[in-house]
Amino acid sequence: MSNLNIDSIKRVTYDAIVIGSGISGGWSAKELTDRGLKTLMLERGRDVKHIVDYPTAMTQPWEFEHRNQLPLEVRKANPVISKCYAFYEGTTHFFVKDDEHPYIQDKPFDWIRGYQVGGKSLMWARMTQRWSDFDYVGPARDGYAVDWPIRYADIAPWYSHVEKFAGITGNKDGLDTLPDGEFLPAYELSCVEKYFKEQMTKHFPDRYVISGRTAHLSQPQPIHYKQGRGKCVNRTICERGCPYGGYFSSNSSTIPWALKSGKLTLRPDSVVQSIIYDESLGKATGVRVVDANTKEVMEFFAKIIFVNAAALNTNLILLNSTSNRFPTGLGNDSGVLGKYVAFHNYRARINAEYDGHLETTTEGRKPSSGYIPRFRNVHRQETEFLRGYASGFSANRGEIRSNEGLGEELKTNLSKAKLSIWRVGSGIMGETIPKESNYVSLDKDKKDAWGIPQMHVNVGYDDNDEKMIKDFFEQFTEMYTKAGFTNIRTSDSKQAAGLDIHEMGGVRMGHDPKTSMLNKWNQMHACKNVFVTDGACMTSTSTQNPSLTYMAYSARAADYAVRELKKRNI
Amino acid sequence: MIKRRSALSKIALGVAGMVSMPAWAHSWSPSSLRHFRYLSLEDETLLAAITDTIIPKTDTPGALELGVHHLIQKIIVDCYDVPAQATIRMGLVLTDAVSIGDFGDSFTKLSPDQRLAVLKKMSLSEYPDQKNFIAMIKRLTIDGYMRSEYVMTNITKFEFAPNRYYGCVPVKA
Repeated sequence: MSNLNIDSIKRVTYDAIVIGSGISGGWSAKELTDRGLKTLMLERGRDVKHIVDYPTAMTQPWEFEHRNQLPLEVRKANPVISKCYAFYEGTTHFFVKDDEHPYIQDKPFDWIRGYQVGGKSLMWARMTQRWSDFDYVGPARDGYAVDWPIRYADIAPWYSHVEKFAGITGNKDGLDTLPDGEFLPAYELSCVEKYFKEQMTKHFPDRYVISGRTAHLSQPQPIHYKQGRGKCVNRTICERGCPYGGYFSSNSSTIPWALKSGKLTLRPDSVVQSIIYDESLGKATGVRVVDANTKEVMEFFAKIIFVNAAALNTNLILLNSTSNRFPTGLGNDSGVLGKYVAFHNYRARINAEYDGHLETTTEGRKPSSGYIPRFRNVHRQETEFLRGYASGFSANRGEIRSNEGLGEELKTNLSKAKLSIWRVGSGIMGETIPKESNYVSLDKDKKDAWGIPQMHVNVGYDDNDEKMIKDFFEQFTEMYTKAGFTNIRTSDSKQAAGLDIHEMGGVRMGHDPKTSMLNKWNQMHACKNVFVTDGACMTSTSTQNPSLTYMAYSARAADYAVRELKKRNI
Repeated sequence: MIKRRSALSKIALGVAGMVSMPAWAHSWSPSSLRHFRYLSLEDETLLAAITDTIIPKTDTPGALELGVHHLIQKIIVDCYDVPAQATIRMGLVLTDAVSIGDFGDSFTKLSPDQRLAVLKKMSLSEYPDQKNFIAMIKRLTIDGYMRSEYVMTNITKFEFAPNRYYGCVPVKA
């Protein structure tokens, strides 16, 4: 080997590589750099710098060319992404366009992606609930999927760690189904959310209505000011990026923090093709990257690799990382790579009205909602379906303006507002069961513009989900009726899997290398210097919004990896 | 202009009974019409007059002054599919046809009261082409007006950054 080559290898060698800059990658990078590791963060999309790259953050509603309607051409060219609630005229620049990044839907699957620095942490819905042991024991109890190799006690201190830094609102609710955390002041429940909470306590003592825990700075602490973030000002247009840093994102928090350490190199426009495995060393040595713009292929080397490409793309990278030792994908001795993918069932909604408490209303806006933790199959299996569901709950009064008439009559009508009676609504967030038959795989021929194989997604609902929807409608109809709500209407959107944007699994954790990919430290059983801490690692999905758990796993795994590195175990 | 006028006169003759249409309108279907990218100057003037009639200037600005027709044009050109565009196109022709039939002149030449009478009549018409057009253009005008800077700032008092949330406050009298 010539000296020149040795020089070039030196130039691209780091202590650690983090693949992906979304919510989990940001945390991996922060924790690794905090511990002194020279870290390279690879992001396949363009750079998005906090504040300066939020082009619509200060756009007034009347300044949008089509008042936030999507042009027909955009909708036609992007049938999948156009279904996403957060995709509108003010946010199109943060979402992947369907035709640029094709994938193959063996079953209908709406894959919602954000390819840029910060990933989907820019546009996420910011609900952040801890898992409890009721969530962790699901698979062990009913035998679907494998037992989680960790329990709540393993992750609790890391929840605290990430909550303090990210800033999470909440009340100490004292529930065993939803452990308390390190909270900033909660957003208040509305009068009728409170009323519903009281009604539930009276009629269903095991069903709680709480203020959803949310990644917003309701009252910033010194650690948040140190990140350059300030108080949330209740604009509720978070998905456009927040110039105040009022909600947590990689862009506002972990990435600038890691960059300030001087230890982080951020390389946008870097499409990871595969992880390089060295058979003689028995570990991964680096990452092969295609430059998104020049298509030049490059290699970067490091002692440890964190895969945080977002659940399905992490599967894709590992499936595409083949070698003599791992012919079906990196670390895939068990054969479970790409399998047991699951998601959250978001199909069912139930709305109603309440004509009490008419002397009261709400004032201002809140970036949060009420939350009803899971109450089905908690202590024992009690229904025809497995596992359970959590739900959002909100109660607000709308403004009604009559649009009767034409001319001056209409204009006068429009100028008069009156409050509607209370409108209440709940949406299901149901656990789906991870199954071998819900899987992703790579196409043998079709490739994308960067030469990466296209992915087949074969993930869908099953009978358990249908039974759960039925139960949600029955239970909430009864709960609403007991509370005196009227005009109760149920709806099933029949939306495809994926639109929940909670896809998980494929690289699951477990005790046994024969049936899982990762150990209890999110470390690959068969390739010890590779860690997976995004949604791909999830053994089961339970019923909490998953991002907070990814953050905690990333921080915990980074801490472990650095300790192991220092002990020269990896 | 003369050609257009004579075509409209023909339609006007039919207004009392069955409405007759220009050639394109006779046989249109979603597949025979193409997506249009702009409105003619005449149609734009007519659209502006219609919005001005739906929400007129009083002691506060009306739809015309707030430029609502520019927004509507933008939305129907960029966001609407061919059938919705056809409803608009057909409706504009019909508006003039009804104007000429009832008051002997095209819509833009009528007095405010006459214009209002035309739109009211069309809104109650048994012909879906007329009724649907008025429903659509009224909805677009209301949306554009309510989302204008003037209305959001002075009438509905939109707050970009409220910086507060109270869950339970007394309703203001």
